[in-house]
Amino acid sequence: MPDGVIVDGWASVIAAYSVTTVGLIIYAASLWQRRRRLERKQS
Amino acid sequence: MRGKFQWEHAVLLLALVLLTVGTYIGLAVAPPERHMGDVQRIMYVHVPTAWIAMLSLTVAFVAAIGSLWSGKHKWDAAVVGSTETGVVLTGLLLSQGMIWARATWGVWWDWDVRLTTSLVMFILFAGVLALRASVDSAERRASWSAVAIIVAYADVPLVYFCVRWWRSLHQVQSTPETVDAAMMLPLRINAFGMLFLATWFIVRRARLELAQRQVEETTLPERRSVEEVQHA
Repeated sequence: MPDGVIVDGWASVIAAYSVTTVGLIIYAASLWQRRRRLERKQS
Repeated sequence: MRGKFQWEHAVLLLALVLLTVGTYIGLAVAPPERHMGDVQRIMYVHVPTAWIAMLSLTVAFVAAIGSLWSGKHKWDAAVVGSTETGVVLTGLLLSQGMIWARATWGVWWDWDVRLTTSLVMFILFAGVLALRASVDSAERRASWSAVAIIVAYADVPLVYFCVRWWRSLHQVQSTPETVDAAMMLPLRINAFGMLFLATWFIVRRARLELAQRQVEETTLPERRSVEEVQHA
């Protein structure tokens, strides 16, 4: 491998993809929860 | 409200399929970058998040003009949906960027022009959501937030073009001229996946806003009469 190449970059890759996945799931869950709350209010 | 299939669920399914395929190609098939090695694979999620965050905020800008122009609830619901989605994506964008910066630049943050304008974008549009939350009147909420979005949007083109206009640590925009063909495929697939996912978020949030507004309008006469009794 040539000099200067970043080795062991997989930890950062996994961290970035995990943060994104968790963030998107939390937002989707918050939309679902708000919807449920509104439906309860309407019924 | 329930039990009826809504078209946006097909869009969500398409988004999940595209993001799975694009991420697989990005992580397992695409070659590592010559200097950054495997850490460059963050690009396949970071760049689509950036593109779609800016696109969502552009939708918010157009919807804000539509809301001011027509005063219709649908435009205001589109403002909320696209602003909230844009803020969520910008928050994720900043987090991914910090992780990438730590691995390549050795620091989590630098007051570089691209990073700074992106942070300003996040704060401005999160501020619009905070403003909305603080206003009770639906009409005032719609008009104030529309004006705030039009003002805040001035930062979005700055985020995109700043790397060309000023010296920046950050690389220039990712285009077929600056990215190898083998890396463009997962980038494009994930960009479409993120686009469809953002569309689902915007539509779901806009529908929620319209339903909330309906509830507000039906309960408003009751609330007013209670207030009148309290004041009497």
